[in-house]
Amino acid sequence: MKNQKRQSKIIATRKSCSAEGTGLSHYILMDKGAKK
Amino acid sequence: MVSKHEFKAPSRGLSLNSGNGPSLIPVDIKHPNYVALIEPDTAFWSLVEKSALADTLADADFIDAYKQKADRFADEIQKLRFGLALNAVYVNPTARCNLNCTYCYIPQDMRKSGVDMTKDQLIQSLTKLRDYFKKVMPEGRLPQIIFHGAEPLLNKEAVFPAIEQFKNDFRFGVQTNGVLLDDEAIEFLVKHGVGIGLSLDAPIKEVADRTRKTWSGESVYENTLRVMEKLKGYDGYNVICTVTKENMANLTDVVDFFHGQGVPAIMLNMVRCTLPPAREIKPDDHEVAEYFFKALNRTYELYKETGRKIVVANFANILVSILAPMARRLMCDISPCGGGRIFFALAPDGGMFPCSEFIGLPEFCGGNLFTDDIDEVLQTKEFKMVTERKVEDINPCNKCAIRHFCGSPCPAEAHEMHGDMKCTGAFCEFYEEQVRYAFRLIADGIAEDFLWQEWDKDTETIFDYQQLELAK
Repeated sequence: MKNQKRQSKIIATRKSCSAEGTGLSHYILMDKGAKK
Repeated sequence: MVSKHEFKAPSRGLSLNSGNGPSLIPVDIKHPNYVALIEPDTAFWSLVEKSALADTLADADFIDAYKQKADRFADEIQKLRFGLALNAVYVNPTARCNLNCTYCYIPQDMRKSGVDMTKDQLIQSLTKLRDYFKKVMPEGRLPQIIFHGAEPLLNKEAVFPAIEQFKNDFRFGVQTNGVLLDDEAIEFLVKHGVGIGLSLDAPIKEVADRTRKTWSGESVYENTLRVMEKLKGYDGYNVICTVTKENMANLTDVVDFFHGQGVPAIMLNMVRCTLPPAREIKPDDHEVAEYFFKALNRTYELYKETGRKIVVANFANILVSILAPMARRLMCDISPCGGGRIFFALAPDGGMFPCSEFIGLPEFCGGNLFTDDIDEVLQTKEFKMVTERKVEDINPCNKCAIRHFCGSPCPAEAHEMHGDMKCTGAFCEFYEEQVRYAFRLIADGIAEDFLWQEWDKDTETIFDYQQLELAK
């Protein structure tokens, strides 16, 4: 794919938050729209 | 004597993959420059330039950096897998449906002549659930009620008054085939901010009609398009496309069409093979993966061309499970899955099942909401068959590096296809390829382009190896 960014030799990241996982895949639970 | 839980082997864990050292398994992600190193139990991952792999495997600084965070990562995964409380219920207000879709997980006879929940029974159910959630959920967070089916709008005489009465107690959603979504119904649902999920399997009538039709075989394609047009611009509206061998070649068309319609998020769900008719249209894993990735590539192109995203939510969830495991929303792709512990399904007769997928399987009915204590039902053997199904007990998941990005869904499929919960569900290689694709996006620095707005708004970065290197 185009527009790929130059990355470093080792990429390793992790973000964290309080877990709010809810749903099963029979219904979309994204409560925030797509980024404009 | 020391118990096996307290015992620690006399190893300082200085090296990878031996003694108490971290187990970082190399995984080929089919990227030209990077290979992944993954610790399966903590879901820690790193992408290492292929030319640097040998040095990295013996890099004490890298191993130390991981070891300093390993306990926190392990705690996160433990919390996700075993520490979350119930916060959603999928309510089937009727067992009936006005459609006869090939892949439905509810048996035909139930959909044809099943019962409805009365308005009073639905009010009684939501009252009991509201009171229960007040005890178990943190203040300020509302539980979710998803009206599901079968077709929930066949019983809107019960559903709509319930939404009105409990509008301050729950976040509501409805998954519907749209046949009964007239102007009045749309106005009511939009006014109350109810999430609306529609289903359409292709933007081509001949393809869509292969799997979704009325009992007499008539098309509902035009009606679905008409409803979509009316919902244009409503933030709480999404579409699910069920992927089968009947429509897999059209997934890129699906993305183009929904993006053109202004739909912000869709799901391209692999067909659940719980019941035999669905298995007849199951696509091959490797073949469907190629079509799926072409469709994802198309979402990226459309975003770059127009500045507007269309998020494929089921894939975005896998990507998030890698970048920030705790931020995942959908709980099918974690082991144990969310069924019976984070959500359950309520049948119209009050029957409680770990998930909608089990509603046609009476041996998984754990109790009745009208008569039984919710906490006691969650602890029944019927629920525990699902809540205690773990990847560690499933072959090949027990040796698979990506087991916590996949979760080996779905237990209902495993049970019905193989008669054993300790088997994978219908898809395995598709999940492998999906995770590889996600890692390639991360390697290329474009993962954010596939995620929903502000997906990481409430997150903090707890590990960034590049920043650690720069700080030296």
